[in-house]
Amino acid sequence: MTPIAKRLAGHLARGFVMILVVATISFFIINNIPGDPMAARFEELIEQGASPEAAAQSVKVLYGFQPDGSMWQQYLDYMAGLFRLDLGQSVTRPGTPVLDVLLEKAKWTVLPVLIGTLVSFLVGIILGVYAAIKRTGKLGDALAISGSLLHGIPQYVLAMLLVVIFATLIPILPADGPVDILFEPGFNAGYIGSLAEHAVLPVVTYALSAYGGWILAMKSSVVTVLGDDFILAAELRGMKRSIVFRYIARNAILPLFTILALSLGLLMGGAVFIEKIFNYPGLGLLLIDSVNERDYATMGGAFLLITGAIIIANIVADLFYTVIDPRVRSGEESA
Amino acid sequence: MKRLAAVVTLASLAAVTACSGGGTTNQSGSGGGGGLFTTIDVNRPGLEPSAPANPYAPKGNSFVGYNAMNIAWVNNHLTDPNQALPGIAASWEIAPDNSSITLKLQPNAKWSDGKSVTAEDVRFSIGVAYTQGSTAFSTTPGAAGAAAEVTVVDNTTVKITQDMANPSPKFARGVFDTIVLPAHVWSSVLPADFWDKLKASRGEGADAEKAREEILALGAKVLAFAPPKDVSAGPFVLERVNPGEALLVKNKNFFNAANVAPSQVKFLNYTGNEQIWNYLSSGKLDHSGFVAAPTDVMNRIKAAPGSEVIKGYSPVAVGLAFNQSKKPYDNVHVRRGLAYLINREEVTKVASPEGGTAATTTSGIHQKAAQAWIPETVGELEPYKTDVAKAEEEFKAAGLTKKDGKWTLADGKPWKMSMHAPSGFSDWLSAQENIKSQLIKAGVDAEVVTTTDYPLYLEELAAGKYDAGFWLMALGPAPYDIFQRLYGASNGWANVAGKVSHSPAGKSGNWMGGAEEIEVDGAKINPGELTGKLNSSTADEAKPIMAQLAKAANQDLPVIQLWDYVNNQFVNNSRFTGWPHDDEILRSGAKVLLSGVWIQTGMIKAKK
Repeated sequence: MTPIAKRLAGHLARGFVMILVVATISFFIINNIPGDPMAARFEELIEQGASPEAAAQSVKVLYGFQPDGSMWQQYLDYMAGLFRLDLGQSVTRPGTPVLDVLLEKAKWTVLPVLIGTLVSFLVGIILGVYAAIKRTGKLGDALAISGSLLHGIPQYVLAMLLVVIFATLIPILPADGPVDILFEPGFNAGYIGSLAEHAVLPVVTYALSAYGGWILAMKSSVVTVLGDDFILAAELRGMKRSIVFRYIARNAILPLFTILALSLGLLMGGAVFIEKIFNYPGLGLLLIDSVNERDYATMGGAFLLITGAIIIANIVADLFYTVIDPRVRSGEESA
Repeated sequence: MKRLAAVVTLASLAAVTACSGGGTTNQSGSGGGGGLFTTIDVNRPGLEPSAPANPYAPKGNSFVGYNAMNIAWVNNHLTDPNQALPGIAASWEIAPDNSSITLKLQPNAKWSDGKSVTAEDVRFSIGVAYTQGSTAFSTTPGAAGAAAEVTVVDNTTVKITQDMANPSPKFARGVFDTIVLPAHVWSSVLPADFWDKLKASRGEGADAEKAREEILALGAKVLAFAPPKDVSAGPFVLERVNPGEALLVKNKNFFNAANVAPSQVKFLNYTGNEQIWNYLSSGKLDHSGFVAAPTDVMNRIKAAPGSEVIKGYSPVAVGLAFNQSKKPYDNVHVRRGLAYLINREEVTKVASPEGGTAATTTSGIHQKAAQAWIPETVGELEPYKTDVAKAEEEFKAAGLTKKDGKWTLADGKPWKMSMHAPSGFSDWLSAQENIKSQLIKAGVDAEVVTTTDYPLYLEELAAGKYDAGFWLMALGPAPYDIFQRLYGASNGWANVAGKVSHSPAGKSGNWMGGAEEIEVDGAKINPGELTGKLNSSTADEAKPIMAQLAKAANQDLPVIQLWDYVNNQFVNNSRFTGWPHDDEILRSGAKVLLSGVWIQTGMIKAKK
């Protein structure tokens, strides 16, 4: 077995155990959350004019098919279901497996968060290099200030600012959902155009709020690399500026890849404020709604998906590091 | 630098392309022609694209009044719970003793797939209603107002009789409030022997219990049922849903299609009240049901072009309810003292300036309904107008003492009144903050505690953890429904099959902990038993009972009634007109999307 394969096997085994541990912990936490969803549903029905008997029966029907038996039995059933990728049934969506609900919501989370992350990463690292090289000039100062400023503004404030500017004062972009329902879904210009149009503000918000972190991290990493002997040696050897630039960028970007991989793992957690403000209902809002509705199965599924994505992202980051960093590779070979 | 420029150029191009592409296509979208009606279901945040067009599914894409039809649309009449507007039933006859109702269906009613809506569809729908629990169609033994027989008289006539063992004056209301389903689409959810099972469930013993369990199990099947496509008898049919919007298109087979103005209806998703406020402020919605809004937001909404707020009656009030198991709230003088201290006008002005009218007193009934039911008694009730001197008298009568400007308990210990409300209930929280400042000003230390959410609030309230919390009350129009909020399960009285029993404070959900008997006009009454009687009383029989209960509530104060809700409907005249201003029409029942009812009756017209 090659060292990389060994490393991968080790990671997978650890990841598997971690998922089981997280599933166990989240199962017990979720099932002990205080609050009476049945009482809330009963009250809702009474307020709507149902008789107490009718309301009681409706509640019994809705919650009647929830898992019963002792907590341990429920836990064993839950874990057995996990191995079959059966995360249970959502109480608020009877008949719909939780996995289907998660997949439906995931696409609306992944689209803005993934694009936003990648755009902010690309722009952040490029401008981060410039900010470091020109750190004594006005451009460097301007870039660093923009990074600090955007990094410091809370995501929800940024989102609301963009809504006010581009959806209210100068109403050129929509902020009311992922796509206009009037367009027939499919591969047609109207639908795709509407999708893109509706994604602009959420993506820009996410990109802007993440950009500050990338530019500052990249700038700091580049400044560290600039002080390394091999850069001085390259300059003394009279290498072209573009080649020196590439040396700097390639070495400085390494730690940022780990952060990028983790950010991509976290994207499953959604961006609650962005989803809420732009009416872009994805996994973040699903998780909040499921907590409010005490939809235990959906809550558990969402936690598991988020945790699983982070664990996988960790493994990918580690393996990726092995591939792109010769020092790690050689360290493994020598070991 | 070249690379940076390229990235910026590409990003700009993408944005411009997206904007122009989406905008241009949008104008020529399928909703053209000015016939698009935009609305919102204020009772249900969050559209669920994967949910079926099933009116019983909690997140089902069924919009009552649009693509889901009731037998009739009940009104919240002040005194008659059986008033309704025609739905699938064009007319009906109710037997004078409420023992039966005969429905005549709309002669031209058709499903969107072209099949006729028949009496068999109605009977089938009633069968489905039994699996879910419904006021008129209940398998609970001895339930008040339950149906006995459902008979198809002919293709457009159905007769439903009431089980007169425990009759209810609102039997017809329970029948009206039934959603009519297409039997030819839903037939698989009920077994062939369903009606035999139902008959068996009405008896006593193991077989009846087994039959009831089987019917209950069918309920889960009904909740999960997903029709392959929406088949509607309403004015619209569901076309598609995404997480942000649902699109319904006009049902050309609807019996009154010629008078339905919009060609399409768009339901918008929302994730909180703020989003609805924004939709209303920007004039995006043609109609929205009641949503609580602070004064500045309300002004912004009213300032939107075409915006109008129409007001109707809402048979709900809110009160500050006490846990009488806790000291000093077990003492009626303390409760009365607090009632004299709280300025309800001020509370309402702060918390619900548009959505509520300050309660004239505590009677347990909405003030409009009280005037209709018991006008003579209303004048006799103590109004509890703000009066610090009277409050101090009451506190002293309770043994409280005032030290250094602060009221302390009879044993000299400090007194801090703790009020709870669930997070997100902005009007309740504002009201409690206002009450707190009023009480502190009068020397009563007070605090407001926010509970994480409503399910937790209800659990902790029922567990008796709070001193006081807000409680919805006066849920009319049926007299029993009105008073069971004060003298029902939350105060210890259980009404099972017409038999009323009382549990002591802290047991069986009794968190109010009031006395089982109260002296009213020199005689001891049992308010729970009287409330139970209302479930089967005629209007004339109900009036004296209601008068006694109103007096009991007024003098014993299990709650301090703060404000009576107003049914605010937000409409916009920019694209559609004809909004009703008739109070009778605006007194519609809950669950129903009113604009759907108005549209289907032909009331709403497209603006020319």
